[in-house]
Amino acid sequence: MLPFLIRSLEAAMIFTFAGLGELVDQRSGILNVGLEGIMLFGATLGFIAAKTTGNYFIGFMVGLGIGAALGLLHGFFSISLGVDQVVSGMGIWIFGFGMTTYIGNPYTGPLGLDKLPTILGVSPFFYLAVIMVVLVWFVLSKTGLGLQIRSVGERPSVAQVSGISVTRIRYMSVIFGGMMSGFAGAVYALYYNPVWNYNFLMGWGFISLALVFFSMWNPYILFGGAVLFGLLWQLALNPQMFFPGLASRYIWRMVPFIMTILVLVLISSKWFRSRWGATKPEALGQPYHKE
Amino acid sequence: MFRTKKKNGDIELHGDIWKHIQPGEVVLDAQGITKRYPGGVLANDHIDFKIKAGEIHAILGENGAGKTTLMSILFGLLQPDEGEIYVRGLKVRFRSPEDAIKMGIGMVHQHRKLVPAHTVLENILLGHPKSRGVLKLKEVEDEVMALAERYGFEIDPRARVWQLTEGEKQVAEIVKALYRGAKILILDEPTSALTPLETDRLLESIETMTQDALGVVPFITHKLPVVLSISEKVTILRKGRVVDRLNTAETTEQILAQRMVGRPVIFNLQKQPIEPGEPVIQVEELSAKNNKGVMALNKVSFTVREGEILGVAGVAGNGQHELAETLFGLREAKGGRILFRGQDITQASVLDRWKLGMGYTPSERTEVGSIPDFSLVENVTMNYYFDNRYNHRGFLDYGGLRKLTEQVIDEFDVATPGPDVPIRTLSGGNLQKVILGRVLSRHPKLVIANLPAQGLDVGATEFVQRKLLEARSQKAAVILISEDLDEVLSLSDWIAPMYEGEIVDMIPAEKAQKDTIGAMIAGLHQERGS
Repeated sequence: MLPFLIRSLEAAMIFTFAGLGELVDQRSGILNVGLEGIMLFGATLGFIAAKTTGNYFIGFMVGLGIGAALGLLHGFFSISLGVDQVVSGMGIWIFGFGMTTYIGNPYTGPLGLDKLPTILGVSPFFYLAVIMVVLVWFVLSKTGLGLQIRSVGERPSVAQVSGISVTRIRYMSVIFGGMMSGFAGAVYALYYNPVWNYNFLMGWGFISLALVFFSMWNPYILFGGAVLFGLLWQLALNPQMFFPGLASRYIWRMVPFIMTILVLVLISSKWFRSRWGATKPEALGQPYHKE
Repeated sequence: MFRTKKKNGDIELHGDIWKHIQPGEVVLDAQGITKRYPGGVLANDHIDFKIKAGEIHAILGENGAGKTTLMSILFGLLQPDEGEIYVRGLKVRFRSPEDAIKMGIGMVHQHRKLVPAHTVLENILLGHPKSRGVLKLKEVEDEVMALAERYGFEIDPRARVWQLTEGEKQVAEIVKALYRGAKILILDEPTSALTPLETDRLLESIETMTQDALGVVPFITHKLPVVLSISEKVTILRKGRVVDRLNTAETTEQILAQRMVGRPVIFNLQKQPIEPGEPVIQVEELSAKNNKGVMALNKVSFTVREGEILGVAGVAGNGQHELAETLFGLREAKGGRILFRGQDITQASVLDRWKLGMGYTPSERTEVGSIPDFSLVENVTMNYYFDNRYNHRGFLDYGGLRKLTEQVIDEFDVATPGPDVPIRTLSGGNLQKVILGRVLSRHPKLVIANLPAQGLDVGATEFVQRKLLEARSQKAAVILISEDLDEVLSLSDWIAPMYEGEIVDMIPAEKAQKDTIGAMIAGLHQERGS
C-alpha cells in the first residue's frame, strides 16, 4: 500500500511540473498542446546525456535546455509569426514523437546509474514540486509580474496601452512553460522510469495538458488534480489490486481524461459562469497583433 | 523579438518636468502634426493645437475628420510623419503609450481599456511603476481612495471590472490615468455612455481637475451641448485640418455643427403630425433573461400603433437590448406574449417575423448587423434571401439584388465605390445607412431600431433620424432604442424610460421633460415620491 502511494505522489510531481509550466503559459494567452513532444524530448535527450556522461546533473540540465528551446520555437511560431497555436503545438508533438524515437532507439534499455536518493521515502523532486506550486501561485497573484502575465492573457491590447510588452511577457511565459515540460520529461526518464523505450512516456504530456484545464488555471487545484491523476494512473496499472475484475487498465487510463471533460463541461455551463465568472483566460489561443 | 527601448535624453528628464506648474502656462503644444496613411489619405494635415494648464479644450469633429489619428499621435499609439510635440516647452517623441504616460499624458478610451476579469485595483496597478515586485495592494488602495475622494469619484477598488456599469468603468479609467500621474487628460467621447446625472458629476470632477492645473482635452463627435457646457475652448477639425478655433462662450450649437459638417445642420427635425392608426405590436408582460442568466426584462407591456415612434430610453444594461432581441425572436421570452397585428408571435421564428413585416437594425453593426467580408449586395441579400421576388425556388436573382443594392446606395446616400466591395471597407456611418436602408426598403410594418445613431457623427445621425421619421410618415410603427435622451425626445411620440428591466412610465411626447426622464433612467423616480 505504501509503495503504491509513493509511486502516485511521484507521478503527481511530474504532472505538476509540466502542468505548472503550461498553466503559466496559458495564463499569458499561449496554448501549447505540444507538451507531450517537449516532454519526450526532455526525457530522451536527458536520458542520453546522463547515460553517456554518467552524470545526472547534466541530464537534468539538458532536459531544461531542450525544453526552453522548444518553448522558444513554439513562441516564435505563435507569437512572432501568429500561426494557429494548436497547429504549432501539434507540430511540436509529432516532431518530438518522430525525432525522439529515431534518436533514442540506439539507447533502448536501462539507464544503468545509481538510483537517486529519496527524502522520507519520496523523491526530493516531490518537495520541489510543492515549492513550485506555492511559488507560481505567489508570483501570479501577488506580484506585478504575475499581474502582467494575467493581463496579457486576458486583454493583450489593454496591457499594451498600459506600457507592457505583450511579446516579451508571452515569450517569457512560453519559455518557462517549455523548461518545466522538458524538466518534467527528464525527471520521468531519469528517476520515475529510467528505461528508455519507444514512446515510453505513454501520453503523460497529454494528461498534464488536461490537468491545466481541470485546474481552472489555479496552481493549488492543479496540484490536487495532479495527485488525483497520479493515484488514478497507479490504479490503472494494477486495477486488480482494488477492484478485481473491473475493467482493463486501458479503460482506467481514460478516467483522468473523462474527469477533465466533465470539469470543462461544468466550467463552460451557464450556471457556473453566472456564479463564478469566466475562469478561462479570455485571450487564450489568440495571436496578438499590435494595432 | 526582444526589442530593448533605447531611452533618449528628453524622455528620461520626465521626473521633474511637472514641478512648479502655473495655471495658464502652455503645457502641451503640438505643431504641424501631419499623418498620411498608405494610399495617400491625409488624416492629419498640419494640425496645430495648444493646451494650457487648468484649461478644458475640446476637439470636435465628425467621424473621419482625423480626431482618432490626432488622439493616437498625442498618446504615442501612432507616430506623426511631420510635426513636433512639446510638453512644457520640451520637445518629445512618443514611440509608445508608455512614453506618453511618462510625460504626464493620460488617456481615457471610449472603448474601455480595462481587463474585465481583474479588480479595479489590479487594473489601476497594471503598468504602474508601483507594480514592480510584490504588489502593495493595501497601500495603493488607500492612495487610490484618497485620489478618488479629491475629485469626487465613487469607486470600489475591489470590484471586478465586468461587474461595473459603463459609467463606473470610465471612472476607473480616469482614476487609473490620474494615479499614473497624468497632467494632461485626453477623454475620448467622455459622455457617450453616461446618464445625464453621471454627466453632471463628471463635469464637476473635471472642474476640480482644472483647479489642480490639469489640462483636459475631450474629443467629441456628437453631443454638442456637452462641448458647450464642458469646455472653454474648442478646436474644430474637418477632413484632417483645423477649420476653426472658438471660445465656447461666444458660440452656439448651430455654429459648431455647421463648422464641423461644413453645411447647415437641421437640429429640430420636423415631425409631421400623424394620426396614429391600428395597433401594430402589443406587448403584454414580456420577460426575458440576459446572457448571464439573470432576469433582465421584467413584465414589460406597451403598444405601438401605425405611424408612431416609441422611444425606449435608458442607460446601457437596463434591459433595452434584451427587449429588442426578444421582440425579434433572437432571445427566448420567459413570460408574457407579443401580438403582431393581432397575431400571437411570441414563439414565432425570426424568419417568420421578417416575412410578417417586422424589421430589425441591430446595435452591433459589425457582429450582428453585417458580415464584414461580404459585399454590399450579399449583405443586403441577408434581408431578402427569403423574399419570393428575389428567390426563385432556391435560386437567388443576383441581378435583381444588385439593382436593389444600388437603389439603397442611392436613396440612402451611401459613400462607397460600388455595390461589390466588402462591406468592411465602409465607415461606420455608411455601414449603418446600408443596414437601415435594406430594412426600410422592405417597407416594414414595424421597425426595431437598436441604437441606430450610436457613435455616428452629426451628419449621419441626422440622416438616420430623418429616415426613421420618413418610415413613420409612411405609417410604419417604430421602436427606437436609444441612450441619447435628446434623440428620444426629438423623434418619439411616446417615451418609455427603462430602468432595471422595467418600463418606468409611458410618457406622451407633449408631456415629456428631459430632467424627469433623466431621473427615471437613473432609478430616482421612486425617491421623488410617487
